[in-house]
Amino acid sequence: MARVSGSFFRSPSLVYGTAIGLRVILLFYGAWQDANSPVKYTDIDYMVFTDASRYVSRGDSPYARDTYRYTPLLAWMLLPTTWAIPGLFSFGKALFALSDVVAGWLVAKSLILTHRMSPERALKYASFWLLNPMVANISTRGSSEGLLGVLVIALLWAVLNRNITLAGVLLGLGVHFKIYPFIYGASIIWWLDDTRTSARTSSPETRAAEPKSRSSNTTTPVAGQILAFITPCRIRLTLVSLLTFAALNAGMYLRYGTPFLQHTYFHHLTRIDHRHNFSPYSTLLYLSAAVEGTEGASRGFESLAFVPQMLLSVVLIPLVLAKKDLPGSMLAQTFAFVTFNKVCTSQYFLWYLIFLPFYLPTSSLLQKPRLGLLVALLWVVGQVFIPSSSFLAGLLLISLPPSSLSSF
Amino acid sequence: MRRRITYIQPQHVSFHPSQTTLTPNSLAISNLVASREERVTLGFDELTGERLLLGRVELSLIYHGGKQIWQVLKQCHQVHVRWARSEQYDAVSPYSSRVSPGLHVFYSPIPSYGDSAGLDREALCKLLKKVFEPELGCESPEKSFITPPILSTRFASTAAYQFYELLPSLKNLVTYIQQKHCEREDEECYRHVELISSADSIDINYDSISHSLTMSGYWSKAPGGADGWTEVIRKHKGATGQVEVGLLGAEPANDPEEIKMGGLLAVVGEDTELKPTLFSFPSRHHPLPEDTVYSVSFSPPTGLHPTMTISMSREALKEPSGRPDAACALHAYLTLPSSVFGDKYQLSTSDELFLKSHNLVSLRAVAGETDLEAPDWFVPRWGSNWLLELASPSGSDQSLKDWNVTIPLHLRYLNPSESGYRSVSVPWPAVFWACTAEDGTKMAMNPFDRVNLGWEGLFGPKSMFYQLHPSPNSEDALLVEELEVPVLTLKEADGLFQSRVIELGTVAVLGLGFLWVLWKLGLVARSSGIRSQQRGTDKRAKAE
Repeated sequence: MARVSGSFFRSPSLVYGTAIGLRVILLFYGAWQDANSPVKYTDIDYMVFTDASRYVSRGDSPYARDTYRYTPLLAWMLLPTTWAIPGLFSFGKALFALSDVVAGWLVAKSLILTHRMSPERALKYASFWLLNPMVANISTRGSSEGLLGVLVIALLWAVLNRNITLAGVLLGLGVHFKIYPFIYGASIIWWLDDTRTSARTSSPETRAAEPKSRSSNTTTPVAGQILAFITPCRIRLTLVSLLTFAALNAGMYLRYGTPFLQHTYFHHLTRIDHRHNFSPYSTLLYLSAAVEGTEGASRGFESLAFVPQMLLSVVLIPLVLAKKDLPGSMLAQTFAFVTFNKVCTSQYFLWYLIFLPFYLPTSSLLQKPRLGLLVALLWVVGQVFIPSSSFLAGLLLISLPPSSLSSF
Repeated sequence: MRRRITYIQPQHVSFHPSQTTLTPNSLAISNLVASREERVTLGFDELTGERLLLGRVELSLIYHGGKQIWQVLKQCHQVHVRWARSEQYDAVSPYSSRVSPGLHVFYSPIPSYGDSAGLDREALCKLLKKVFEPELGCESPEKSFITPPILSTRFASTAAYQFYELLPSLKNLVTYIQQKHCEREDEECYRHVELISSADSIDINYDSISHSLTMSGYWSKAPGGADGWTEVIRKHKGATGQVEVGLLGAEPANDPEEIKMGGLLAVVGEDTELKPTLFSFPSRHHPLPEDTVYSVSFSPPTGLHPTMTISMSREALKEPSGRPDAACALHAYLTLPSSVFGDKYQLSTSDELFLKSHNLVSLRAVAGETDLEAPDWFVPRWGSNWLLELASPSGSDQSLKDWNVTIPLHLRYLNPSESGYRSVSVPWPAVFWACTAEDGTKMAMNPFDRVNLGWEGLFGPKSMFYQLHPSPNSEDALLVEELEVPVLTLKEADGLFQSRVIELGTVAVLGLGFLWVLWKLGLVARSSGIRSQQRGTDKRAKAE
């Protein structure tokens, strides 16, 4: 058995072939189910995207479609789905599935860089993503999260290869697409210190505990530290990503006006729906929204929700973990961001799943298979049961423990 | 003021001349088993407040409360009120049209009033609240009424604004009219007005072209029960306006688009005897046989995505026997309160498999609150209307079972409650066959014509309607389904389910989670700092 799997992972074409084959089968199966059953394989969101594309193809705004809450880029990308050629309706799904596979390929390449793995071993870990039926299922059903996956992992790959301009463009594009990748900006900038970017070898790093490093900090002039922090790479990344982000937004705003800003960004900042929400805030949000709706007064507590969320995912986790392990830090950041977010739906898990291959090689979940299986089982149970029992008081208690994964 | 009272006797009931006594001043009716309509019409002069002496007629309220009502009506291009009781009743020809149980208001403002400063936008709602129910969810037409079809695929002619609320009782209307109209001692007047509370449906119409206000009530049977109607209909004091009485029965018509009525007519105070009559007229609404029935249910568990099932008897699925060349289609017109809604994207699909699995043909029109995400407390208007074309079985499907049409619906989040549930009342939809008619223009000449029902305006003028009879299974005969909606349990008095506990619990869970992650991060930082551990390895990796 082991030998079989060994030879399997030794052949990249076999692994990628299987990954592609799995998705092709699911695409065809989906088309078959859609054509033969009133219960559709295709995700409701895919209907939203393609409806929006149809509006675009007629010269209208994609925001003419209710609940289209994405960048117009997505609707443009899916324009081929509106062409009257049979089968092209699935173009978007194929695109998302392809993004998946490319993302998996980049995972394997990045693993070689970060974990000094052999290509074979890297492919094995990348297969947690590549051959994951859940991932293949989600993208072939037409959820666009696969696109985010490839953007984010390409960002990591570009940074690992010191391709700062590409990384800046990807970061700007990713944030334009879905806001949340901005958290990676913090860890990447922190990670990009002199030692990573200059050829000269600096003096060996002190492995001292924090108190000691802090005391050494006080002896250095603060201005010098700030100057040392501002490196050409960091400036370039910041400027390129901000420029990309700003240019995309300016372009979209000029084309589609306020509805673009409202639906792509403001909606996510002000959204109040607590439907299908896994967040520990959901019950509180429901309560305060209901009270506000009837009495017109907000309690205001939940507006502070971003404090622990941002503190962890943008400041503390990057600060402590980024320089040790960039992908690990990104995984933890994503996990903290999702866990402490006011809204959390099922597909958000893809956001951190893409980083799992970087964490598993050193994880106790693989070293202790029983624990690993138990955690996987609990996670699946949580996915299945939480939406159907949103009103359990216990929801508060079930919502948080997944963050146990995020602490090393 | 004119009054018209019409009795419609069923064919199987015999009529004896001794049941009526006509005198110069009155017509006495005794034990007449019949359906009854009473219609009162007020002209422009009466509306604008010119005082006239009257007999006991409901709408002399116009003179007493006249100022307020005229103030509202003069802002209206048209206003139509339709009310139907929540219990099942028989709608006999020529009164065979129905609306969903509850209060429906259709309103169009006079355009010139649109931007005048003196306009009281809340006047109509204030009046409706005063007349029908102080708790009515009506603030102003702009805020509380919905505007008709946003997705009408057909010629539409409906009022600009539409309002609905399930109003089980007309008690408030009765009290209002009694107080405004009846003299303190006039027991007979009180009793007559009280009759409104047993009406099966009530229509009120006003339009600025005719400048007249009509109010009519329909009773499928006498409130006393089997004994029938016994009453004395007097002419108006001072002979102000006609009082016309008809005792009619339906006759077989020569033309499938017509209805023929025969019987006796008299104008009280003018005629010396009841005059026999036989007349026919083209009609928009036609009756169907008694066994063409439907019932509505929500299959349990309803959860947050209830499915409405409309079950129809096999007899109801035969196309009405009109002209052979007429095209007919089966429809349902849903009136949904804001807490329940359809997904217009789901229902307007052209996917044959989905439609077939629900026995739907297509969504023809939708109006009102269709937001897919908003909780109920963010929905300002009363709800939505849906016109769906329903499938009927193909010729090969000869089974004798009832035919079920299902409509997938969704619930909004409602406010928390003590029990963890809130109940939502959904009125039964109107279900009918709509057929093309040869000539629609003459239908308005029908003395019993009825329009502004919400659904009929969504069809062209050359249409005929055949409504199925609602047939409730439950003993209370209600045409309203109650849904139990799960909500957050909130007991402010004591126990685990207080808002304070939820707040503190959330804070505690998040706080502990936050601190725990902090602690873990602290451990990492303590043991190995915040600097890289694998500098060399990274370099090597790069070199590869």
